Amino acid sequence: MALTLTCPVCGKRNGYEFRYGGEDKGPRPAEEDLTPRAWCDYVHMNRCTAGIQKEWWCHKDGCGVWFTTCRDTVTNLEVDQPEASR
Amino acid sequence: MNRLNQLPTLRIDPSRKLTLTYRGKSYQGCAGDTIATALYANGVRIFGRSLKYHRPRGLYALDGECSNCLMQVDGIPNVRAENTLLKDGMRVAAQNVKGSAEYDLLGFIDKLDWLMPAGFYYRSMHRPAAIWPIAMKQVRKAAGLGTLAPDFDMPGRFDEIYPTADVCVIGGGPAGLQAALAAAESGLRVVLLEARPQLGGCFDYRVSPYSEDLTLSERAAQLAEQVMRTGNIRVFTHTFMMGAYNNNLISAFQVGGPQAGFAERYIEIRAQSVVVATGCIERPLLFEHNERPGVMQVGCAHRLARTYGLLPGKEAVFSVGHDLGLEAAADLADLGLKVHCVADTRPDGQDPHLLLALAERRIPVLKGWVAKKAHGVKQIKKATLSTVEGTIKRHFACDVLVASAGLTPVTGPLTTAGARLVYDTHTGYFRPKDLPAKMFAAGRMTGCNHHFSIEASGRRAGLQAAAACGADNRKAMEEAGKKLAGLPGPERGSKLVTAPVKGRKTFICFDEDTTVKNIRQAVKMGFDVPELIKRFTSAGTGPGQGGIPGHNLPLYVARCTASPATPRPTTVRSPLVPAFVATFAGTNHDMSKRTPLHDGQKAAGGIFRRIGVWQRARYFSNDLDCREEILNVRNNVGLLDASTLGKFRIHGPDALKALQRVYVSDMSRIKPGRIRYSAMCNDDGCVIDDGVVVKMGENDYYFTTSTARAGATVEWIRYHTRYDGWDFNLVNLTDAMGVVNIAGPNARKVLEAATDADVSNAAFPFAGCREFSVAGRIPVRAMRLGFVGELSFELHAASSWMPALWEILLDAGGKLGIRAFGVEAQNVLRMEKGHVILGQESEQRTNLLDIGLGFLWDRAKTDSKTVGAVALRQAEADKGRLKLVGIAMEDDGRAPKDGSIIVDDRVRGYVCTARKSVTTGQAVGMALVEAQLAEIDTQLDIFEDECRGRRLKARVTAMPFYDPEGRRMRM
Repeated sequence: MALTLTCPVCGKRNGYEFRYGGEDKGPRPAEEDLTPRAWCDYVHMNRCTAGIQKEWWCHKDGCGVWFTTCRDTVTNLEVDQPEASR
Repeated sequence: MNRLNQLPTLRIDPSRKLTLTYRGKSYQGCAGDTIATALYANGVRIFGRSLKYHRPRGLYALDGECSNCLMQVDGIPNVRAENTLLKDGMRVAAQNVKGSAEYDLLGFIDKLDWLMPAGFYYRSMHRPAAIWPIAMKQVRKAAGLGTLAPDFDMPGRFDEIYPTADVCVIGGGPAGLQAALAAAESGLRVVLLEARPQLGGCFDYRVSPYSEDLTLSERAAQLAEQVMRTGNIRVFTHTFMMGAYNNNLISAFQVGGPQAGFAERYIEIRAQSVVVATGCIERPLLFEHNERPGVMQVGCAHRLARTYGLLPGKEAVFSVGHDLGLEAAADLADLGLKVHCVADTRPDGQDPHLLLALAERRIPVLKGWVAKKAHGVKQIKKATLSTVEGTIKRHFACDVLVASAGLTPVTGPLTTAGARLVYDTHTGYFRPKDLPAKMFAAGRMTGCNHHFSIEASGRRAGLQAAAACGADNRKAMEEAGKKLAGLPGPERGSKLVTAPVKGRKTFICFDEDTTVKNIRQAVKMGFDVPELIKRFTSAGTGPGQGGIPGHNLPLYVARCTASPATPRPTTVRSPLVPAFVATFAGTNHDMSKRTPLHDGQKAAGGIFRRIGVWQRARYFSNDLDCREEILNVRNNVGLLDASTLGKFRIHGPDALKALQRVYVSDMSRIKPGRIRYSAMCNDDGCVIDDGVVVKMGENDYYFTTSTARAGATVEWIRYHTRYDGWDFNLVNLTDAMGVVNIAGPNARKVLEAATDADVSNAAFPFAGCREFSVAGRIPVRAMRLGFVGELSFELHAASSWMPALWEILLDAGGKLGIRAFGVEAQNVLRMEKGHVILGQESEQRTNLLDIGLGFLWDRAKTDSKTVGAVALRQAEADKGRLKLVGIAMEDDGRAPKDGSIIVDDRVRGYVCTARKSVTTGQAVGMALVEAQLAEIDTQLDIFEDECRGRRLKARVTAMPFYDPEGRRMRM
């Protein structure tokens, strides 16, 4: 795997060590007045950005932490967080 | 053949003889020989027959650019004989021959080429359509490479390594060696890959002067020695680079040997920066019969003599387009080859020193001349040369025609990483543009040819690569740049595309038998882009990975099509060299865990099976129905190793919140000393795990998960709380703790004999949890559960105590007849009781409600945002779901196999687990069926694999099948 990721605890490591946790979609919505459609959108729908997206990764073969990072989905390279999303 | 034994450049050891078998005869080679050179030394000139026309093919190049020397070696087809080192006892066979390579019964096909124009596979033999299946079989028989026996088992050990490097240098020639040394100066970790078994590249076999007191070969040895001495350079020789990917990931494989401990190993290098110094291969010369045995490239002829001590023949004619050809002609003449003449396609621009050297040896040089035709079928006998315009012709008798149009850089390592290639009119090369970040090209591939320039460009690239890793070497880089600027730059390359021929037997691609005539046909049919012509004519799609036609095809197409005038190369893809699937597969890491009770169970006669990551005792006798084991639990007492259960502690201020998030039940209502059985769902409400939770203190819980989920639980809980910032600690105790389950009506008697604690039903009731010590010293956490449907105590203790605990319990129950039972017995026992095992009674789509565990779900705790709760609420009204039901076989029938489907005119469900119940004597089981079939007494038809239409009959019945009131586990 060509991807490397920077774990906040362990530093830059081989992409094999990580598990993808999906796009950063924000916290779970409150269950009150939650329509099935809104719920389905939250769980299953993705933006599928072609470009830089913020996403969750787990350092499964290392410290086990879940963290967010930015990746350019076109080049499959980790990139610095854009100012706007910090 | 006599070897030139005394050459200083030899890479063979003539004193160490190795044998190989070919055509039923035994031949001798030397240590260091490749298969091809050993055969060549024994007079073999034809190594196989070509794919389509069955033309005889011989040694043409030594680096595996073509399929000419693909042979079957020890049962392995398509081995590149020219770069596979000879091992003692190898059995070699020619490929694609009917008869022998010399006398191939299908050789006549060569005369039928007019029947097979470009793309004939696509165009002929398809009308009427019925012809094609028949024709295809014949084509497959006649055309092809080696064959693999269906039962062939790849011998040898295949390893894999994943080194990390600051700088990875690809190519161990002078430029690569200099680059590695330069990068290593900054103390960086450098990895150097070289395809040949030795370092040195284009210097290794040449004896031209490097400086006043060194030959090129001696210089190569000097550099190689420096590299080997440098501690922070790791050298991989005989290592073929397969591809470069973004982020500078390099994949390669290394060929091992008897000492290496592996046959081949996959290497994946993650480097910060990369230097590509893969040099050049030769651009084949296009003329009639340009691939006859006896026609070979300059480097092949030169290295045969210098590296392997073999003169390629007796009388030779050279037709070259590069100074290396002139150098080789002079050198080979000195070694004893009779060189009749050297034709150089270039009208001028030759190195005057080399011209002088040839003149001294009385070898005529024909400038502006080129080979037009090779004569002879199995071995060339004569060569026709002509001027490049074709106006004047001359004939020379010869048995070797050394032919090469010029050089072409090996750019695959750059283009697989994303570099673009642009045609450079000065060098005639496709040169890389837009190199990926931190990737640098060096050496001959940049166009330079002077030995100082090659080294200087390598050094500069090495320094650049080091700087890209953060090394501060600005000053050294400036100097290197200045030095390189003062040396000869890229040289003008030969522009000749083809000899003046019609091209019916002028092969542009040897692997696929594509001639220039085929290319012209394709162009005439409207194909104008090399990429499409490659596919239509299959030129460059063979095992040589485009090594032969890669450069010529775009040049030739550009010449045939008036526009666009600029040649456009075809795409090269990884793997850049043919690689075994076994190499990618690597070692089979069959790793499994043993429970702390492994040895004890083995001693008790346990038969182990790999279940998930664990080795577990499945049976304790050869009776696979486990009758004795089951009856002993039902009527007496048994002992089960349940150490594979996932075991966790969660504690910290927000521990309860985290449990509330992932468990469907309300965990705030657990009472001290009581067990709460519950389940976890995913966001779709599908049930993924079940287990018990006990409260150890305020915000301090101990919980178990199913065996299969033990590895994923921490990640799961952390994932579903990732936005909350909660403060809790999760400890995976799965391997730190063991579990033993004492089950059966006599379980209490056993436990009473082992502990002083009060374990009576009043003091320690069902669903209770107690902590006490066994035998006065082993601290255990005991839980009263009833998975198998009997009175049972589950004892959790530190793994280190488990063997002792096991012995103590066996002793305590010895008089009663306690015995171990295995996973299969447990499976039947719990099935009789209607208890589910997730993954067996559920699949990915099965939700909590489907398997009848809806009672676990607390709908009131919406604030917890429990995972799966929203989906469960929506699924409640869904009528189209499968439901878990109990089934009993009709007419005293046997139990169906697990996983059999339930059908009427379509599939309506499937059997989860079914066994003949030892306790009740009836075949019963659990099945997931459509809701309409879930009514009690509904008749079900079960279809088993290979039942030949005889369906089994079953009826939906109430569960559990055993002790419906649940009295026995509450005893």
